[in-house]
Amino acid sequence: MYGKVAVIAASLGVIGALGAAPAFAQERTVKITGFGAKSGVVRVFGINSEAALKAAAEEINKAGGVTLGDGTKGRFAIEFLDDRCNAEEGISVVRRIASSDAFVAVGPTCSNVAESLFGILQKKVGDASDTGLQFPIIADVAAKGGLAKISEWAFRNVPSEFEMYKSLFAWLKTQHPDLKTIWGGVEKDFAHSNATFGVMKSQAETNGLKVLGQSEWLLADTTFSTQVREMRRANPDIVAISAHPFTTCGVLKEMDRQGVKPKLLIGLTSSSSIETLQGCAKQAEGIIIPTSFAPVTPEAKKAAEQVAKLGGSADLHSAAAYEIMFILKDVIEKQKIMAKADTVQADRVKMREGLAALKETNGLLGKVGRTPDREAIKPFLFVHAKDGSWQVLYKPAS
Amino acid sequence: MLDLIDALQSVADGVLFGATYALLGIGFTLIFGVMHKINLSYAAASIGAAYASLLLLAGVKAPPVLVFLMAAACGGVIGALVYFVAFRFIPLANPLATLMSTVGLLLLIDEIVVHATAGVPLNYPALFSDVVIRAGAFNLRGDLMFVFALGCVAMVLLWALLYRTRLGIATRAVSQQPVAAQLCGISIDGVNILTFVITGVLGGLAGAMTGAAIGVLSPLLSLPLTVKGLIVTVIGGLGSIPGAIVAGLLVGGIENVVQFFRGVSERDLYVMMLLFAFLVFRPGGLFAPAAGRD
Repeated sequence: MYGKVAVIAASLGVIGALGAAPAFAQERTVKITGFGAKSGVVRVFGINSEAALKAAAEEINKAGGVTLGDGTKGRFAIEFLDDRCNAEEGISVVRRIASSDAFVAVGPTCSNVAESLFGILQKKVGDASDTGLQFPIIADVAAKGGLAKISEWAFRNVPSEFEMYKSLFAWLKTQHPDLKTIWGGVEKDFAHSNATFGVMKSQAETNGLKVLGQSEWLLADTTFSTQVREMRRANPDIVAISAHPFTTCGVLKEMDRQGVKPKLLIGLTSSSSIETLQGCAKQAEGIIIPTSFAPVTPEAKKAAEQVAKLGGSADLHSAAAYEIMFILKDVIEKQKIMAKADTVQADRVKMREGLAALKETNGLLGKVGRTPDREAIKPFLFVHAKDGSWQVLYKPAS
Repeated sequence: MLDLIDALQSVADGVLFGATYALLGIGFTLIFGVMHKINLSYAAASIGAAYASLLLLAGVKAPPVLVFLMAAACGGVIGALVYFVAFRFIPLANPLATLMSTVGLLLLIDEIVVHATAGVPLNYPALFSDVVIRAGAFNLRGDLMFVFALGCVAMVLLWALLYRTRLGIATRAVSQQPVAAQLCGISIDGVNILTFVITGVLGGLAGAMTGAAIGVLSPLLSLPLTVKGLIVTVIGGLGSIPGAIVAGLLVGGIENVVQFFRGVSERDLYVMMLLFAFLVFRPGGLFAPAAGRD
């Protein structure tokens, strides 16, 4: 009896498999390679980006995948490579990706890597005298302003910090007209912190704040007493800290020790993350930071949950990676990309053209504009640390 | 007047924070004193031990003292592991071999910490962090004074261990006359392991005190602390425990004074110049012990 049942079950299985076979044959795997820091002190950025790319790919695949140029359905498969936040390794990783069937890559984490990497790409499309790499790259994290200008093959889905702080200081002027002076704190040896501090300072001055001075420290510094004493002596209304979570926490703790209590604290975009709260939630209470991500829309909430399920955390950087997968899906479909081994070069050109032609994309917080120099104009909001979590303080009209 | 008080305050803050450098310097110098080898993974192991104490006690609301003791215990275990991985099976006659193996271990420990924590800075508990002794505009941090006191206690305990116990006699014997010590029945391996465990315990405490003094732990700390530990060891005199303490406080103080007068971008420049000055004019350091190994 059992033998007959087994035979029938096996037969049904074979029939089922045969029936399903044509459907599988119509599908192709579309490999998307991400790259960024997955080792070293910025490893968390790579982990989050990878989780976000995979979460978005799962979501797209679940909804039927991506339609390729010949009508075949494609299913995204994500691979993520480590560049250690090192320019040479970043270049080597991208050369490796470009030597495969990949028609686009997503990354990197660090601005210093992006800056060098975009430099090896062909600067101007169609320039026969330029032997640079003809391979489209779209950055999710590297935050230093204006990097995509380096090459016409480079794109970014990164928020504009200039716009964010311009809006923040203009808003502060209306909300806190009583605040007149500001003191800056900057991580002097980190490109992103330094560049953003310049933006903070100029926007503070534009909005009528008197910049009393600035304290400087290095990324791996361990003591901040001298810097905080300068702050204390200046007694500013606002302290703006352009630094990453480790030194932001070190400075905030020293401010707490020395009893430096400005009326308002402003932080760097990258510090609106879980790391700051893990390091110094109590001392960071009240700090205001502009960010291009918060789980405030149904899409953003869903994305945050999916990223968390895959071991990452959704923040302004990884949310950009999540959005990029949907951008790539749209471009693949619009440009009729084939994703086949024999169409790689044509697919790369189509992908570049598709990305360059974008005027607007869908973001987790709303529509994202695209600029002619291949940058994004993302919606943003202001969050503040409250009761150990980041809470939305204000959403500027876009 | 305010500038003078600020300058004095900078010296005081630096000297007190220098206690963490001193604790690290003691470990570096003790290993050098016994084995005549530099262990470049020492600071990374110390930070690793402090991280391990947090991870092992995660979920338990442990008091700071327990976290520190756990860091010391983890430091001891890591110290023994460092000995077996980077020294025990490496030809000791070749000084470069152990130097390179400890560089490798430094990077390995750092990467293990990064993989275990994703490189995220973690809040570290402190003792007496809310204690500040004030005298007008001048103040001293209670937590750093505790670290300073701990450094002094560690020095006294190590001195007692080295000069008042049989283990200390054996350690000094191995340090000064390894062949003769072996002929007298002293196990060189045993003494070496114990040295690594003891310096590991001290390193664990140093890592914990560093975390407590900053309030946050980060893998970013390993490399700068390795450099500081080496500078302190050279300035104090290779193998000299009192030298490591004095040099730790000195380096901490000088760092802060330079930062006060010249800014952060020139700070390390002057500390390095101090190191070169010692290497050229006083290569034996402040308290170089008499040579005596065969």
